[in-house]
Formats: sequence, C-alpha cells, structure tokens
Amino acid sequence: MTSILSYRRSILLAGVLGLLMTAGPAVAQAPPGFSPLDKTKPAESKQDTNLKPHPTPPTVTALDKLPVDKLKLPNGFKAEVWSHGHPGARTMVRGDKGTIFMGTRLIGRVYAITDKDGKREVKTLLTGLTQPNGLEFKDGALYVFAINKVFRYDNIEDKLDNPGDPVELTEKFNLPDTVHHNWKYVAFGPDGKLYVQVGANCNICEVNPGIHAQIRRYNADGTGMEIVARGVRNTVGFDWHPVTKELWFTDNGRDWAGNDGPQDELNRIAKGQEGAFYGFPYCHANNVPDPDVKKPNPCQGVVLPAALTGPHAGGLGIKFYTGNMFPKTYQNQAFIARRGSWNREKKFGYDVALARITGGTAKIEPFLTGLLDEGKNEFYGRPTYVLQAPDGALLVSDEQNGAIYRISYGAPRTAGR
Amino acid sequence: MFYAGSAVAQPMPLAERITLCGTCHGEDGNSRMQNIPSLAGQPEFYVLNQLFLMREGVRRIEVMTAFVKDLKDDELDALSKHYAKLAAKPSDEPTDPALVQRGTELANARRCGSCHLPSLAGQDQMPRVAKQRIDYLIVTMKSYRDSPRPGADTAPPSPASRIPTSPRSRIMRRRGSGAGLPVFC
Repeated sequence: MTSILSYRRSILLAGVLGLLMTAGPAVAQAPPGFSPLDKTKPAESKQDTNLKPHPTPPTVTALDKLPVDKLKLPNGFKAEVWSHGHPGARTMVRGDKGTIFMGTRLIGRVYAITDKDGKREVKTLLTGLTQPNGLEFKDGALYVFAINKVFRYDNIEDKLDNPGDPVELTEKFNLPDTVHHNWKYVAFGPDGKLYVQVGANCNICEVNPGIHAQIRRYNADGTGMEIVARGVRNTVGFDWHPVTKELWFTDNGRDWAGNDGPQDELNRIAKGQEGAFYGFPYCHANNVPDPDVKKPNPCQGVVLPAALTGPHAGGLGIKFYTGNMFPKTYQNQAFIARRGSWNREKKFGYDVALARITGGTAKIEPFLTGLLDEGKNEFYGRPTYVLQAPDGALLVSDEQNGAIYRISYGAPRTAGR
Repeated sequence: MFYAGSAVAQPMPLAERITLCGTCHGEDGNSRMQNIPSLAGQPEFYVLNQLFLMREGVRRIEVMTAFVKDLKDDELDALSKHYAKLAAKPSDEPTDPALVQRGTELANARRCGSCHLPSLAGQDQMPRVAKQRIDYLIVTMKSYRDSPRPGADTAPPSPASRIPTSPRSRIMRRRGSGAGLPVFC
C-alpha cells in the first residue's frame, strides 16, 4: 500500500508520468478471472435485495413499437426514427462515405447502416464477437475492438457485403481479456493516438493499477502504449473538447453502496495532467470515501470530477456539439447518453443530458427525456451513444429497442421511415 | 468469427423441431441425459437469448451449432414460449442430504436468489436452476468460474469465481429456497 501511495504522489507531482511510461508488455500480465478482493457488501447497501440488470432484447423491435412518440426535447427540437432493426444498438462511428458502423455488447454483432436517398439499409457486418463495443474509423479503415480481439478492416466501405479477412492487431495492443467492465470504447484523439480504456475488473476491489481502471493511448498499430488516466472505474465514452483539445470522459460509479450513489462522473484530463489518478477504488464522486476498500485520506491527490452525472445513471457516450444546426448556445457543449440505472430502487437516467461546460467544470441539464415513467418506475428505451451527423443533427442509439433516433432543430427534413 | 450469411434453410415445422430437441433435452423438456440441460420451465427470455447467442456464434457449443444456425427469430420465439410453458421436474440423480444442507447455506450466503429468484425458478435473462440437472449445473458453474461465458452479462461469474470446487458442487444439490443478492457490475 505504501508503494502505491508514494507512486500516486509521484504521478501527481510530476503530472506526466503517463507520458513517460511507454512500455506495452512491460506491465504484468492480467491475472485470469476476477479479483478475489471484491469487497462489496450489498446487504449493507440498504437497497432492494432483488435489484438486477435489465435484460436487453436480442431480436428486432418492430417499428410501431419504438418509443419515439414518448421522446421529449426542448422547444424547436424534434425526434424521428432514423434507423431500426439492429438489436443491441450502442456505439456509432461514421465512415468517410457516410456508413454508420454500430457496435454492440452481448449479442456480438457489428452493423453497417447505409443511407441512400433518405432510406436506411442495415447490414449485419460481423457476428460472433465477444462484446464488440469499441469501434473507430480512420483513413478508410474500421477498427473493431472486442473484449479479446482487435481487428482492422481496410477500405471497409467498399466491401460491406463481404468484409473479408481483417488485419489482426490483438497481440500488438496486448489488452487483458477479462470480461468485467472490459468492453471497449476507443477513439482517435487530436494527437492521432488511439485512446482505449481498460475498466476495473470488479464492482469494487483493489485492482492491479498497472493493468486495470485506466485510459491508455496507443499508436494506431498498437505500439507506444501510454497510460493517460488511472483510477477510472468504468468509462465507456470520451471525447475531446473542440477548443481546448482536452479529453473529457464519463465514468460509471460503483454499485451496492446505496440508492443515491456514489454518483457517476464526468471527468476531464487537464493539459499536463496525463497519467493522473481519478480515485477508484478509494474515492468516488466528490470526495466520497469507499465504504469497503478503505485507506487513510482516500481522496487526497485525487482528481475530482468536472460534474456529477447522477446516481447509477449509466453515463456512456459523450460528444461535444460543433454543428451548425442547433442554436449557438449548444456550441462546444457536450451531450451525454445515460443508459439508465439498474442498481437503484427508483429508476434514474434513460435520457440524453447536456453538460454545459465552464472552464474545467460542467453543469448537467436535461435534453432528451421521456423514456422513463417515474410514476410507474418503468423505462421504454436506453440511450447509449450519440453522434453528430454532417448536417448537425444528433443521432442517438437506443440499445433496448435497436434503433437510432435523429434529433434535429428548426426546419424539419423529410423523415426516412 | 462468422460473417452474416444469406443461407436460407427449409423451415422445419415447429412440432418436428421440438421432437428433434427432445431427443436430448427430453420429450417433456426434462433431460435424462448426462450433462444435457433441462429446458422445461426456463424463463422465455432466457431460452430465446441463449438460442440467439448460440445461433450467432457468441456462445459456442459445437454440438448445438448444426441445430441452431438456421433458426429464424420467430422460431427462437416459438421454441422459447414452448419450453417456458412446460413443467420442470427434478432429475433422478442421487442427492446427499448433508450436501443439500451445505448447498442451501452457500446459496443463501451467495444470494443466488436475488437474480434467480428465491425459488430459483429464474427470471428474464437469468436461468432456472431449481430442478436443473445436477451434473449440468456442476459443469456450468465450473466453466463460469474458470472463464466467463461470452454473451452472459458480467453478473454471475464474480461470486462464482470465489467458490472453491468442492462446496460449489454442493451448492447445486440444493432444492430449497433462499433470498439475498449477489455481487455484480
């Protein structure tokens, strides 16, 4: 423990240790399976003992069953179905020729959704992968990060009907293949590096800080690994501020520590703070010491969040808005898809929130709501990721219903249904 | 990995399909074959989900591949509804009362009933474990402990991973009720 403490201090003093750590294979191998140190005490959480994750339908939700009519937006905005019939809808990236590639978790598929004359065609591009949530597109190539595999499909938009054999990069990236919190989110940063997260392999436990609870960055070929954030429990969404070029990331708080928290976080990696420590497992949200994994001064030296994003809210995708369609007040503000709670008696989230940024902090306000009926404590959809379309509209994926909604402002365009 | 194919199979009538499934899983959905799971009384969503994952190659069980690879979504739906309606019956495997007792204690301590329900009849994506074949449950628990099943959520492996082999065999012999909640996510 002493070594971890002094290690941490040195990171914070130097602030750039992450930049100096370039060793990929130098870190110890991940132990197989799960941490034996998971110290969760659900009985002490004083929560309904029958809370459990909600099932995600693997099959198609019919168009007339989509909850698009329930969606509520600020004045002047409207929602329509952009595409549907792709169960498990999560991550979205856009190819240069306009294809939307979509990643999923449990059902193991990657979709390619094309847009021709206002009509969408959904192709199931890949199947049988282990939680291929991590997708990125660059220079004509689709990068696919499953939990245990990394592939690159070159010139993918020219061969959507037969993608052929990919270039396999699994060994180059050398990522742990543990399942827990290890479905990927990946994105190229303004520095041309590919950013990849490795979540904590437990709800709450001491992790191996050399492997888990990190955000890393690599060269596109998997070389030159550096750790840019530590003590990050489970981020599956990040984006760069369009002006400051700083990385902002969502992070999901621990479970079984009460209905009201610790809250999820929106974090920022300030310039020169690469490699800093964000608190897991000792310190959560704004100075909340963990009730199970204890140490003296648990929040000392921890980078606190830019904003709290709600208890068990499930903040996943985040995108800064830079389009011309929405009012100017949305410029450079961040949309966050909140998938919604399971470990909370009164459901929370199931929406898209707006983070209004002021310097290094943010204020969270509602944007897209209506998928949660608070009176009935029921939900109708689960927004997971957001993507800005070239025309400035916002695409929102709904994992529960296998659909993408298009959010537009002002003069409505013909819907493609 | 498989690419999504366009193979079109001759649809087999549902009754014929069910007869085929029954040769291993039991005519009434209660298996009498070693290590083959009973499907009777499984939650509808659970059967649908598992058939789907097997069809897509996410959950890979070699012997099942040929039977599920051409199933359409509506066939998955029909099979799931069929098995959910059948009554689960305990297998004729021998049980040791001392092990049953020990298993009951472990299941309570592990809060299996939180997801699988206190009756262990299962719900939604969580399988029925009550009246399931003991040998199948042992094999399944071992594989969960040693490597989490692809396509499953991260829920069950975490608690299961900390149960040493011998008491774990006992937990499966339990037929009683329990309550509590597990450790996940």
